[in-house]
Amino acid sequence: MQQKTTQLSLKSYLDLHQLLNVYRGSHEENRLFALTQKNQKPLALLLAWLQKNLYRVTNQLESTKYLHYLTLFSSLFGFIVLFLGFLTGVALLSYSGSEPVNVIYLLLVMVGLPLLSMLLSLLSMLFGNIGAKVFAHLSPLYYLEKVVNLLPFAKNITFSSLPFSATLTKWIFLQRVQIFSFLFSLGLFLALILMIISKDIAFGWSTTLQVDAKSFQALLSTLSFPWRDFLPSAVPSLELVELSHYFRLGEHLDSKMIHNADKLGAWWQFLAMATLFYSLGLRLIFWIVAHYGFKRQLKKESLAIDGVSELIKEFKTPFISTQSHNDEEHLEIEETLREVDEHLGEKYEAILGWNFSDEQLLLIKDSLGVNSKNREVVGGKNSFLEDKKIIEQLKGEVLVYVKAWEPPTMDFMDFLEDVLANSSIKRVDIVPLGTAERNYKSNREEMEVWLRKLESIDSDKLGVVDV
Amino acid sequence: MSSYHPKFAVVGHPNKGKSSIVASLSLDDSIQIGNTPGTTQVKRGFPLKVDGKIVYELFDTPGFQRARRVYAWLEEHGDVPANRRIDVVKQFVHEHRDNKKFRDEVELLDPIINGAGIIYVVDASKPYGAEYEIEMEILRWCGQPSMAILNLIGEEDYREEWSRALGQYFRLVRTYNPMTAGHKEHVDLLESIAQLNEAWTKPIKQAIEVLNKLYDLKVEQTVSTISDYMVKVLSFVHKQKIVGEEATPHEEKVAKERYRNKIIEYEEREQRDVEKIWQHNDVQKEEEQLNLDEVGLFSQESASIFGLSQKELILTGASAGAITGAGLDLLVAGSSLFLGTVIGGVVGGVGAMFGFDNLYELKVLGQSVGRRELTVGPMQNLNFPYVLLGRALYHASLMAKRSHAKREAVNLKEVSFTEGVISAEARKTLEKVHVKLRKGKELEKEELAEYTSTLQKSFLELLE
Repeated sequence: MQQKTTQLSLKSYLDLHQLLNVYRGSHEENRLFALTQKNQKPLALLLAWLQKNLYRVTNQLESTKYLHYLTLFSSLFGFIVLFLGFLTGVALLSYSGSEPVNVIYLLLVMVGLPLLSMLLSLLSMLFGNIGAKVFAHLSPLYYLEKVVNLLPFAKNITFSSLPFSATLTKWIFLQRVQIFSFLFSLGLFLALILMIISKDIAFGWSTTLQVDAKSFQALLSTLSFPWRDFLPSAVPSLELVELSHYFRLGEHLDSKMIHNADKLGAWWQFLAMATLFYSLGLRLIFWIVAHYGFKRQLKKESLAIDGVSELIKEFKTPFISTQSHNDEEHLEIEETLREVDEHLGEKYEAILGWNFSDEQLLLIKDSLGVNSKNREVVGGKNSFLEDKKIIEQLKGEVLVYVKAWEPPTMDFMDFLEDVLANSSIKRVDIVPLGTAERNYKSNREEMEVWLRKLESIDSDKLGVVDV
Repeated sequence: MSSYHPKFAVVGHPNKGKSSIVASLSLDDSIQIGNTPGTTQVKRGFPLKVDGKIVYELFDTPGFQRARRVYAWLEEHGDVPANRRIDVVKQFVHEHRDNKKFRDEVELLDPIINGAGIIYVVDASKPYGAEYEIEMEILRWCGQPSMAILNLIGEEDYREEWSRALGQYFRLVRTYNPMTAGHKEHVDLLESIAQLNEAWTKPIKQAIEVLNKLYDLKVEQTVSTISDYMVKVLSFVHKQKIVGEEATPHEEKVAKERYRNKIIEYEEREQRDVEKIWQHNDVQKEEEQLNLDEVGLFSQESASIFGLSQKELILTGASAGAITGAGLDLLVAGSSLFLGTVIGGVVGGVGAMFGFDNLYELKVLGQSVGRRELTVGPMQNLNFPYVLLGRALYHASLMAKRSHAKREAVNLKEVSFTEGVISAEARKTLEKVHVKLRKGKELEKEELAEYTSTLQKSFLELLE
């Protein structure tokens, strides 16, 4: 079963990219889908659409493979840095008894190093493209992709097809750097607590620089500002700072220091609070910022995936359709044509004009020179009774003029059947005529329409003449 | 919510262009159109829908086949006042619904007796004939708002005599040629239809708004399609692995051929997309294939290690060196003034630069880590983008202007893309993007938006 995608994530980003490569839906489907949704925000619609259609991706999801590798890598590396932090803590706090643990060294690792790495993270966050490119090249996934692409099983893990930009890679990496650093500091913190519980540790401070106890205490007090009001015992006093100051020269400790050995352990509270605040607390804030930056970049790139802007436009644009939803019943067009004669008969008993007026028939007679004693107007505004009477009086050879540009209607076909049914009639010649302006010449297309239709009449009496 | 929407039945004599008019108004090129009478066998509704809601509906109907018989029947049964004549027509349809003889008349009268307005179509390029009066009388019996359309199928013009006759039967007579009508003529005709009935004014106005929006959307989609296509083609690079140090003539020929085929494929896809946008789903084309023989394709060999180019490898080496140096700096608590980072970065970068050739020869597990490739593209010819744009815009403008009633092939052979279509200023904007694409650089969002907007102006000029 697919995992429910309700928030934008790396998974939804990759899934959306993969889905849009195989399916985009039609405007009608997408608009209809959008209209059924309660939340009309583009991103919410996009995620709901992804959730609805993700089943269409029949191949294994790229996100599953990618997230598997990312989780594996992150878990493994996370565990390693946690362990490394713990080991570092144990090593730093190792105390032989001959020399106290130098607080300055501890502060460098527990506060200085995290602050430096946070500064680097901040620079990377602020300086977009330069930082992005460097981080893209620092990302182990970047090399993993390059190396894996060369291996025989590269087809199974096509990292190169993943749609990550350098900027998004930067934010993925930055986010993970904060987690790894947090775990490293957590390891340090755990080591500190464990060592404090299990051993008595005497802390001291020693430096080559000319720093007196007062200045050093002022620096420590400044570092303790976040907790000094509610936890004053975690701020080293001037007395403690003075007591803890030692020099390695002479290979033995100050007798005053040895005398107050029980007080030297009081540094742990300060070190624990410094780790908690600077290494863990601030790191957590950095993680939140990196997470926010990642989400913002992810949103930006999700909306820039090929096809997403069109999809959102389709969600928002009303679907307009103008076409019929009923299938058309196609007419089977008869391809065979009736044979055509080129010459009129010598003599006709009657000339009929289908849908012509008597005046028009006179003009045609003048133009074509075909005459007959009997000239009748049929069709048009005649009643059936009038046409019937005319047909009954016909005999011998009959010439029927029709308008070539008007296709034969069933009304004409009925009339023709009645004419052919008259046994006194020996022959019926149909002459499709063009307009008077064209000297009554019909064109090929018009003739074909008539010949195709008249082909359906099976009668030896019937002929078609093209004048 | 009321389900009322205006309906219009396009009726007339057979072969007078009813289906062509419906195809043109419904933007549907799948309607069967032919010069054989009876091509349309049953009525078909073409609703204009917005999100599934019908704004109006057009009906394509078969032509009158036995008008005289229908009229005779109506007269025989119609000794009623004029206000009840519609009932006689309804009775005719009811009684002859299963009568094959009157199938066409029943099909064409059915939407009218159910409230559809009448759009009577005649071919005004042929002379007027009194036989049409029977059909007009039958329609008058229906008592629905009606208008006549003069369709000029042929070259002659008998509109005057037709107008004199039609004016006696119909409230409005308009000329509309479905073969040449574009969006403006479509909208003008709808405005005329709106005048037929007061109740139709509002929905038809809405329909006009909708169609205008649809048109604008199509223009926008077309330009966006062309713009995407241009970016794809101009930045396209074909890469293929080569065996030796240098590409053989055969390898070079194959690479160039593949590059050409891909460009042609892009163009075909772009044309299909544009045709789909303008709802021309089955358009035949007479065209000359894109000729890339004379544009001068250049190919070049390049090497990579682990898929990294020399530039990338230098950056990688510098990064790795800098990290190592930074580690040393931290060990001495920064007293080295971060020289470790600087030196590490320089050593790593320089090492990668000079070690590239040696690494290239290296084999791991029998596989060479280095790889040689032959690259063709991006296209460097300065005029090539304008040839592509010319073809794309010309094709798109033909599709936008093409009536859905047309069935003949589109002639794309005579591509004429004059300088005037793209002004010197527009060309400057386009060229800025072309230069960037030629260099293989990615476009900023704003640059692409400006490019698309310039294309839109040129496209709209072509449509005018």
